[in-house]
Amino acid sequence: MSLRFPRKFSALPIAVVVALVTACAGPGAQAPGTGAAGSTIKVMSLWGGSEQDAFQKVLDAFKTKTGVTASYESVRTDYSTTLQARISGGNPPDVAIIPGIGFLRQFARQGSLKKISDLGIDVNSLKSNYPPGILEIGQVDGTQYGIMVKFNSKSTFWYRPDKFKTLGVQTAADWNGFTKLLGDIKAKGQAPLGLGAGDSWTLTDWFESVYVRQAGPDKYDQLFGGKLPWTDSSVTAAVDTMKQALKDDYVVGGITAALGRSFTDGIGQAFAANGQAVMYYEGGFVGGIATGQTNTALKVGETIDWFDFPAINNNKSVTIGGDVIAAFTTKPGVKEFLQYMTTSEAGSVWAGTGAIISPVKAVPASAYPNDLAKREAAQVANASAVRFDGSDLLPGSGGGDMGAALQDALRGKTVDWAKFESSIQAAWKAEK
Amino acid sequence: MGLAPTPAVPAQRPITRDLTDVRRARGPEAPNYGTAILFLLPAAVLLVLFLLYPSIYTILLSFNRGRNGVFSEWVGLDNYTRLFSDPDFLNLATFPPSGALWNNLLWIVFYTSIVIFLGLIIAVVAARVRYESVVKAIVFIPMAIAATALAVIWKFVYSPDPNIGLLNAMLGTVGVSPISWLGDENLVNFALIAVGIWGSVGFATVILSAAVKSIPAEVIESARVEGANEREIFFRMILPMVSLPMSVLAVTLIVNVIKLFDLIYVMTSGGPGKASRVIAFTMYQQAFSAGQYGYGSAVAVVMLALLIPIMIFNIRRFRTGAVT
Amino acid sequence: MSILAEPIAGSRPRTPAGHVVAVLNRSVIHVALGLIGVIWLVPTIGLLVTSFRPRSDIQATGWWDIFQLHLALDNYRQVLEAQGMLQAFVNTVFIAVPSTLLPLAICALAAYAFSWIRFPFRDTLFLIVVAFLLVPVQVAFIPLLTMSRDLVPDLELTRGYAAVWLAHTAFALPFGIFLLRNFFITLPPDMIEAARIDGASDIRVFSTIIVPVSVPAIAAYGIFQFLWVWNDLLMALIFVQDSSKFPMTRAIQNLLSQYGTEWHLLAAGAFLLMIVPLIVFFSLQRYFVQGLLAGSIK
Repeated sequence: MSLRFPRKFSALPIAVVVALVTACAGPGAQAPGTGAAGSTIKVMSLWGGSEQDAFQKVLDAFKTKTGVTASYESVRTDYSTTLQARISGGNPPDVAIIPGIGFLRQFARQGSLKKISDLGIDVNSLKSNYPPGILEIGQVDGTQYGIMVKFNSKSTFWYRPDKFKTLGVQTAADWNGFTKLLGDIKAKGQAPLGLGAGDSWTLTDWFESVYVRQAGPDKYDQLFGGKLPWTDSSVTAAVDTMKQALKDDYVVGGITAALGRSFTDGIGQAFAANGQAVMYYEGGFVGGIATGQTNTALKVGETIDWFDFPAINNNKSVTIGGDVIAAFTTKPGVKEFLQYMTTSEAGSVWAGTGAIISPVKAVPASAYPNDLAKREAAQVANASAVRFDGSDLLPGSGGGDMGAALQDALRGKTVDWAKFESSIQAAWKAEK
Repeated sequence: MGLAPTPAVPAQRPITRDLTDVRRARGPEAPNYGTAILFLLPAAVLLVLFLLYPSIYTILLSFNRGRNGVFSEWVGLDNYTRLFSDPDFLNLATFPPSGALWNNLLWIVFYTSIVIFLGLIIAVVAARVRYESVVKAIVFIPMAIAATALAVIWKFVYSPDPNIGLLNAMLGTVGVSPISWLGDENLVNFALIAVGIWGSVGFATVILSAAVKSIPAEVIESARVEGANEREIFFRMILPMVSLPMSVLAVTLIVNVIKLFDLIYVMTSGGPGKASRVIAFTMYQQAFSAGQYGYGSAVAVVMLALLIPIMIFNIRRFRTGAVT
Repeated sequence: MSILAEPIAGSRPRTPAGHVVAVLNRSVIHVALGLIGVIWLVPTIGLLVTSFRPRSDIQATGWWDIFQLHLALDNYRQVLEAQGMLQAFVNTVFIAVPSTLLPLAICALAAYAFSWIRFPFRDTLFLIVVAFLLVPVQVAFIPLLTMSRDLVPDLELTRGYAAVWLAHTAFALPFGIFLLRNFFITLPPDMIEAARIDGASDIRVFSTIIVPVSVPAIAAYGIFQFLWVWNDLLMALIFVQDSSKFPMTRAIQNLLSQYGTEWHLLAAGAFLLMIVPLIVFFSLQRYFVQGLLAGSIK
């Protein structure tokens, strides 16, 4: 590998050249961003490992097409903190792919983000690219600041078909069947579930999957929109339902250990070579991590597969998590990159890696490399209702606080939801 | 750097005034402004720009919304009332109390006292063997290591997997099932404090050893000849001699605790939940993750306020020392 | 047993029973010190051994299982190349060297002024500098970031290393000035007077007399500051913003969150971070300990 020594000033000549070119071209001669070939933009997100490799393929295809180099910067830890510190230091990336809508709102309301229209992109022209509701996810107070570029279902329950066969059990379609399944496996001397709840967002995902089915999508919207207080009985009801599955009997190693375990280690509990668990709940991205990183010997359909998160009261709503692309600068190449990311071409390249599901309508089912991803796309497309990851909608540190509260709940502590509600309301207020 | 060596406390024997006077008498007659400015300018510019101005800015910002890090809307004491009513910062309503400030207090009580206690024991006991310098070097090694590396070393020791974590492997041999040291909110602070102690005992040992050594061997020997037992020697002779360095050490360790960040950030990120948060972590988290700069500034000001008494204590000690 | 080697434990038993007690006491001491040695060495050794073990071995058995001991350098190769630790090592050097040399120079100049130049309010100003010692870096985060964004955006301080260099330098000043001033002031006044009578300027006195005789003190402070910066995470978290410029402490933090179980990478990474401080510690132990102790005791 080559060492990169500090090149603080190397960016300068390019900037000067660009400035000169724009100046010579005269006013109005160039719309922002056209003729950007040769420029370099910085794109930041939080993927590393196999997810990063997948995204790099998209960036490579973008360069081939436009001549713009999009250099990827991965920030694995404290993504929003790092981004916020860079914004405060006047050093934001040109483009960021932001995992939480709460953070999109935070950055937009601060005035740190460029509007999509500021880049010279006509928002109306994008509408036909997406199914209804997708573009709205990137709006803050009615203005388009971001565009959703990828998502995963969060209603996929991962399991080991081989071990199911050995144990003589079958996947479950509804919650009663599911709790019976857990009991059956336990009765055969095996704790069924892996859990990496040290990353508390795995618990918020659990909660959301239960809540949207048990309380319904309307209440879900109200709760995560700040309209329904967290003291509502539906909240504790969902927590109780969750705890029917997440208890010492059913989680390998017990709850206390699970609360100190990372999300990837939780996947390992089910899918590593020496894994003990037979099931693991998390979003569609588990497939990529498990087969690409945890255990490359896994075989889709034989040693790894998923079923729909069990329906509750016949409700089969689906939750998704997604990332939104947004621009911090109007540098040449930024407009081109955002536009490229809305095309089915980019969507197909990315989908082809098996890492994501593309929200772009024109991406064909054949773009997905395997059955896992194809079924995931279909699950969302055919869902009776689709809801965005709620903890990502909460303001400020609300998502993290919610995760902490759920950790407390699993620990057996009584969660003071009134206290949580008042801190969430304060955060909603602070964001305004 | 590791844990304890924060250069926090000026504890050198104060320079006596008479020395200064001698020098003054021999120095050039007229004050030499030009040269003084030349020598002091770089330091002065940096101190004003990077310490004085930021301190004032942060204090003012703590009374402001501070949107985007700049002054946006004055809110009076709102940030402070919110901070002190935030149970994650300080919660005295439950027993035991909790919150970041409370965790700092736990650290101050347990970390400081145990570090000094172990440091003194090791200093006194090691002085009785030939391989004293080896023992001191061994306990001192963690001082050289980054808190980030300490965190990795101990996350490894604490691992809940008995094939990886030494501690749980040892418990396993006596039939105890694995304990999640960092995943249990009742244990996590003590598990972290233990790492802090491990990292800082060497510092205390070296300082206290120097103090113990300053007691002449003949004095102790003659006390023994006069029939004093080891306990009496320890409590009547050694302890009084080391009490001053001990108090200085205690102040240094307390300052470390108030500034404690790296170890917590790497080992637990304040978790599980918020159980192991400390005040410096809260500042970082509120200001940068939540983007609440006014609120984060209030936390920084609380840190500053906790350190000011120590600052005054030091200056006073420094000045009285200078006069005598 | 010679008293010289054991200055405090000098009392010799006078009776056979007393002799037995003394031997017992001795062995209690040896056992206790041995235990302390084990507690302070084993965690680090465990990680060191792990850093050489293949991933599959680590997952199968504990590092203490000596029957499973195949050691290899693969982990280091992987973490240096694939995980970018080599780049991070270089970055750490780029951060640490200027952040050591700058404060050394600035502190020495200021300390000289505070000890050997007459000017009004000298002692008051010095006390103010000492008071700055305890200002936590947290108070500087927000103002310094917004300052570099709003007041001097063209300097792009946070894009390279400039911000972290300056922040480390500024926060090193109070301690460095304090330490060096207290050393300079102990130098014999006659030496400086003689030079001044010969017509030497302050700059000459400083560079040809003060600095050469103060090498031990400057070295002690330099080593202290160097290790401080080398080991720092917090400043780098705020002021080093480009991930291609992250130092090792941040690279390890990234490894930790990305690969919760990948101990083979973490162990090797942590040792790469530790190696320079350990070398400094073992080769320059005297200066190192002096530097540490200077702030706390004399």
